Amino acid sequence: MTDAPLAPADFEARLRAIGTERYHDKHPFNLRMHAGTLSREEIQTWVRNRYYYQTRIPVKDSAILAKSGDAAFRREWVQRLHDHDGRAPGEGGLEMWLRLAETVGLERADVESLAGVLPGVRRACDAYVALVESSDLLGSVAASLTELFAGDIMTTRIAAFEKHYAWVDPEGLAYFRSRTKQAPRDASFGLAFVLEHARTRPDQDRCLAALERKCEILWSLLDAVEAAHRRPVLSPHVVLRDDAERPGQQIAVLPERGVRVNESGQEILALCDGGRSSEAIARVLHDRHPEVPHLLIDVHEFLEQMTRLGVLVLR
Amino acid sequence: MSGARLWNLIAELTYRCPLRCPYCSNPKEWASIRDGLDADAWARVFREAAALGAVHVGLTGGEPSARRDLDAIVRSAAEAGLYTHLVTAGVPLTPDGLATLRDAGLRSVQLSIQDATAAASDRIAGTESFERKLSIARAARELGLALTLNVVLHRENLANVGALIEVARTLDADRLELANAQYDGWALANRDALLPSREQLEAASAVVAEERFRALRPELVWVLPDYFSGRPKPCMGGWGRRLVVVAPDGLVLPCHAARDLPGLAFWNARERSLAECWNDAPGMNAYRDEAWMREPCRSCVKRSEDFGGCRCQAFRLTGDATNTDPACALAPQRASLLDARARAAPTAWIARGVGAQEGN
Ligand code: SF4
Ligand code: SF4
Repeated sequence: MTDAPLAPADFEARLRAIGTERYHDKHPFNLRMHAGTLSREEIQTWVRNRYYYQTRIPVKDSAILAKSGDAAFRREWVQRLHDHDGRAPGEGGLEMWLRLAETVGLERADVESLAGVLPGVRRACDAYVALVESSDLLGSVAASLTELFAGDIMTTRIAAFEKHYAWVDPEGLAYFRSRTKQAPRDASFGLAFVLEHARTRPDQDRCLAALERKCEILWSLLDAVEAAHRRPVLSPHVVLRDDAERPGQQIAVLPERGVRVNESGQEILALCDGGRSSEAIARVLHDRHPEVPHLLIDVHEFLEQMTRLGVLVLR
Repeated sequence: MSGARLWNLIAELTYRCPLRCPYCSNPKEWASIRDGLDADAWARVFREAAALGAVHVGLTGGEPSARRDLDAIVRSAAEAGLYTHLVTAGVPLTPDGLATLRDAGLRSVQLSIQDATAAASDRIAGTESFERKLSIARAARELGLALTLNVVLHRENLANVGALIEVARTLDADRLELANAQYDGWALANRDALLPSREQLEAASAVVAEERFRALRPELVWVLPDYFSGRPKPCMGGWGRRLVVVAPDGLVLPCHAARDLPGLAFWNARERSLAECWNDAPGMNAYRDEAWMREPCRSCVKRSEDFGGCRCQAFRLTGDATNTDPACALAPQRASLLDARARAAPTAWIARGVGAQEGN
């Protein structure tokens, strides 16, 4: 026994309400971006990490495309691939994002290498692709409906950058400008599709859940970016001591657990002085050991884990 | 078979306690077990534990602050290089007494409360104590000590998990342990009255999930009890593997409940070094590692994670400690545990008895 389907207008209202409550325009990091209080480093971290999200968009759109047996749907949806990848090298949304990266002072090759992508951002973006891959056509289109809310955020963002981050060349904002037009167009197609195809209450509920999940994913992406600029410091309740049983190793002892810290870990903890951000610590170590692969990711993972275990607290 | 590295010493300083919790994990005959180690003997035990690799000591009981020499005990634990952690019911400890302990080297406090309000908490504790507990929590905060609140959960207080989290937030605790009762000792005797229903547990689980989402502090520790999860608890991190209990009379045990398992000889720290008691006592080696296991544990992939569950629970519920813990869904002898689940209902409990014992 299932409930009767919602009337299309009510269903649409429920979809939109999810955006009002949960879209990442309300995330503290985004609010600070638009209020003009992010540092240059924070803007750079955001741009570098959000690039990974941009690279996942055509991947998930290709997956959606492959789910449809309808030529009319595919003709419409393939437009998104063209928007992101361009019709030739040097065009399209990804290229525009790389230009934005250059304008905010990042190296293009560094951003393209994805070496500085935070583990939490990688998890969030990969979770989005996995969500789309494991959903049917309807569910995956519903997850894309955050576009309904994207047009407005872009308009606000352009104004905020022009006003507060004058050091960013307006040329670099081309991506945001392009999305003010593309997002509403894409969204109205996606919305019409979902309203038409979600005819039963369980299907409607599935769509609502997919959109909620997508909002959570975008939110956690910003959580990770924000956390990278918090400043870790040893918890006042931790005692860091040598391990008599294992020369060179230390143990961080807490009220409820002991955590082994090897020599690399000790080098990282020594930089956690409450003044440096996680991102700054990772960069210092990267400069110190340029030969070590994946060092940025490993440092962030270590800092995340130590924070979860209570060894570090964030300022 | 000996030689496991010790990490953690549980020092049961006394079984005396002014409270009368119906789920107390102390032995039923606690009143006949005397405080056998003076402060100097404890100091030796701490040094010996540190030499075996231990980095942490939990000073517990009974109620450790019932000992008048607690400050000397804390000082010698800290001097031995152990991270010194006090597990207390908050009475007869006082805020000034706690300050003295901090100065002696205490680093963290785990304070028990029995429920979210004075009336309910005092009723379960069988003693007026809630307000004094709160004053200890506030003192711990002011003194810069790490603070964990611990609540043993059962049928009577499970519905108050939300209110308990609120209490912990108000007190600014670092951690709240929502510890479902373990059905041994007094709790086993009172099992019919204490064992909750699955619905109660699910409701509490949902509250915890919601509150975890709402705020990062305090850290919320919540584990579905083994009676309902179908998964046995990895008791003490494995028998004789990481952790040693020294009971008030000096008996050296792998677990606070192992004293009355039949046929096991444990040794006493009053008579031998802790290293001998830990490495060589026949009881300590009885269930170390895996040779003692029977099927289904012997060939199970989970055996290195849960060590076949709790030996004491296996003995209490099946009569043989080498059986698979009946909490495990794969255990052949689950009937008595499932019966208990079906039988549980609101009934009166017996409070932990108050026996007379001289202080030291
Ligand atoms: S469980 Fe209650 S009665 Fe038993 S030692 Fe702890 S506070 Fe005292
Ligand atoms: S059979 Fe034994 S080892 Fe396997 S899960 Fe159950 S208790 Fe653990």
